[in-house]
Amino acid sequence: MYGVGIIGCGGMGSGHAARFASFPDAQVVACADVVEERAQRLAAEHGARAYGDGRRLLADRRVDIAVICTPTPFHAPLIEAAAKRGKHIFSEKPLARTLAEARRAIAAAEEAGVRLMVGHVLRFFPEYALAKRLLDEGAVGRPAVARTARCSGHPQPPADWYGDYAMSGGVLVDMAIHDIDFLLWCFGPAERVYCKALTHRGPALTDYGLVTVRFRNRVIAHVEGSWAHTPGIFYTQLEIAGDRGLIEYDSDTAVPLRVWRKPKRGSRAPAVVVPESPLADSPYAAEVREFMDCVRTGRQPSVTPEDAYRALEVALAAEQSTLRGEVVALPLA
Amino acid sequence: MVKIGILSFAHTHASAYARCVKELPNARLVGIADSSQARGERMAAQFGTRLMARNELLAKADAVIVTAENARHARWVIPAAQAGCHVLCEKPIAADPADGRRMIAACEAAGVQLGIAFPCRFMPPMLRLKALCDDGALGKFLAATGANRGRMPGGWFTKPKLAGGGAVLDHSVHLVDLLRWMLKAEVVEVYAEVDRLMHDIASDDCGAVTVTFDNGVFATLDPSWSRPRCYPTWGDVMLQIVGTDGVAAANGFRQKFDLYDDRRGVGEWHYWGSDVNRAMIADFVDAVENDRPFGVTGDDGLRALEVAVAAYRSAALGRPVKMQEISA
Repeated sequence: MYGVGIIGCGGMGSGHAARFASFPDAQVVACADVVEERAQRLAAEHGARAYGDGRRLLADRRVDIAVICTPTPFHAPLIEAAAKRGKHIFSEKPLARTLAEARRAIAAAEEAGVRLMVGHVLRFFPEYALAKRLLDEGAVGRPAVARTARCSGHPQPPADWYGDYAMSGGVLVDMAIHDIDFLLWCFGPAERVYCKALTHRGPALTDYGLVTVRFRNRVIAHVEGSWAHTPGIFYTQLEIAGDRGLIEYDSDTAVPLRVWRKPKRGSRAPAVVVPESPLADSPYAAEVREFMDCVRTGRQPSVTPEDAYRALEVALAAEQSTLRGEVVALPLA
Repeated sequence: MVKIGILSFAHTHASAYARCVKELPNARLVGIADSSQARGERMAAQFGTRLMARNELLAKADAVIVTAENARHARWVIPAAQAGCHVLCEKPIAADPADGRRMIAACEAAGVQLGIAFPCRFMPPMLRLKALCDDGALGKFLAATGANRGRMPGGWFTKPKLAGGGAVLDHSVHLVDLLRWMLKAEVVEVYAEVDRLMHDIASDDCGAVTVTFDNGVFATLDPSWSRPRCYPTWGDVMLQIVGTDGVAAANGFRQKFDLYDDRRGVGEWHYWGSDVNRAMIADFVDAVENDRPFGVTGDDGLRALEVAVAAYRSAALGRPVKMQEISA
C-alpha cells in the first residue's frame, strides 16, 4: 500500500487526491495546505492527517508519494525536499519557476532514485495524443507550420497568485507551457523563440502572449496563450500543416453535449449554455495512472523530468524574449 | 456610366473582377489589354469584349483594373495614370516598394485615383469587426492575431522575380491592411520566421510574422500556403482583436455549408456569404462616378508591402527589424 501525501489542497490537489485514492494499492494519508482548514477538509474526506506546512507532511513516514499542487515557485523546493526523504513525486506543471531550481529538483530525484513526473497532462488528452500518433504515422507528410491556441479568462480569486506574474510566470509559463510541451514532444528540440506578451506590462488580471518557436527540424510553430478572454470561456485549437496534409482541431467545434438550462423561476440570473466533452477516461486519471505504474515498476515516466525541463526552458525563453524585445536562442545558458 | 478597362489577366482575380464589372448597372467593360495575346483573346471572347492595344484602351476607358503580375503593375499603372485613367490595382501594390512609390507619384501628378484591391475590407464580418473597434466595444486595443492561409497557387506567384516574394508577401499584406484599418495604427517593428517547407517551388511557402504597432499593439500573422489540395476550400481569412474590454474574432469565410458529393471524392465547403469582390468593384466604380476618394489608397498598399519587405529582411537577419530601416 502506497501512502499518498497531497501538498496544496486547491482544485488540482483535491482532484488528484480522489484519483490516487481510486487505486487499490494507494491511500491518501496526509494533506497539507498553508490554509489549514483546506487541508483539514480534504484530509477528513480521505481519513488522512492534515498539515499546515508541506515540509512537515514530508516528514510523515507513512507518505511514500508526494503530490505537489502548490503555486509554482514552491514546486522545485518541495520536489527537492521530498526526494531527499525518499518519496516518489508527482508535481503539477511547471516543474519550477527557474531553470536553476528545475536542475536541482531533477538532480535530487535522480540521486534519491525516486520517480518524478510532472503533470504535462495535455499528452494524455485523447485529441492531442491522437494528433501526435497520426503525425508520427506520416499523416501530414513532413510537418511545416504548427499553431496552437489555449484561451480562457484570467484565473480569479481566491486563486489570485496566478495574477502575480513573478510567481506564476503568467499565461506563458502557466498556460502556454502545455502546448509548448506538446510541440516539443512532436517536433523535438527548439532552436529559437520570439515572443510578444502582456505579461509584466499589461492591465491587471489580463495576460496574453504570442510565441513563435522555430524548431531544429525547421518547423515554425505559433503559440497563442490567453488569459484575456471572458471569465468562464475556455477553448483550445491545434493545427499541424505538412507538405502532404493538415491536422485541424478546435475544441469549440468538437462539443458532443450542449445543455441549455432555463433560469430557475423567479431568478434573475441569465440562462447559460454549458458545453461538455465527457470522456470515459479522464486525461488526469490517465496521467496519474501512468505515474503509479512507474512507481510500481520503477520505469521512467513517458513524460520525463528532462521533458518538463525543456518545456520550462522554452516558456522562460518566451518570457525573456518579450521582456528584452529580442530573439532568444536555445538552449538557455 | 463608368467605362472600365482591364489591364492584364495574369492574376486569377481578373476574371472575377470582369464578371463584377459586367454585372454592375453603372459600369461597362470597354476592353482589355494583355501582355499575352492568346490569353487576351480568350478573355475578350469570354467576357464579350475586345482585346486592344494598351493606348487604344486607355483612350477609351475612364478607369482601369490592373491585374498583372506584381512586378509588372507599374508598367501598366503609370501609363494608365498618364492617360488620365483612374486605377484599381491588385494587391500587393508592387513587387518592390520603389515601384509602388513611382505609381503613387504618377497617379498624384495626373490627378487620378490609385485604389488597391483589398477585398477583405469589404467582407461583412470584417466590416462588423471594424465597427466594433470604432465604437470602442473592445476597449483599448492590446493584441491581435491574423491568419490568411491558402493552397499553393503555383504559376508566377511562386516566382520571386514576378511576384516579389512568396506566401509571406501574397498573404500578409491582407492581414496588415486589415489591422492598420481597424487599429488606426502603423507598424513600427517586424519579426518573421520565413521558410519553404511544403512545396517544391522557388519562393517561400510559410511563415510566422510578428508586427508591433505604434500604439503598442502586437500581432502575429500566419500567411502560409498550408492548405492541402484535398482541403474542403481554398483557404481562409481570420482576425482576432484583444482589447481591455473584450475579444472579437472574425472569420471571413465561415458562412459556408459542407457538401459531400460522391462524384467529387472529397468534402467541400461552399461559401454562401456576401460577394466581396462585387462589393469592392461596385465601391470603386461608385467612387469614380461620384468623384469621391476610394477607401483603400496607394499609400495603404505601399505600407502593407513595406511590412512584407520587413518580414523578409527580418528572416534574413534573424532579428526584429524597425520599419524605419525599410522605408528609408
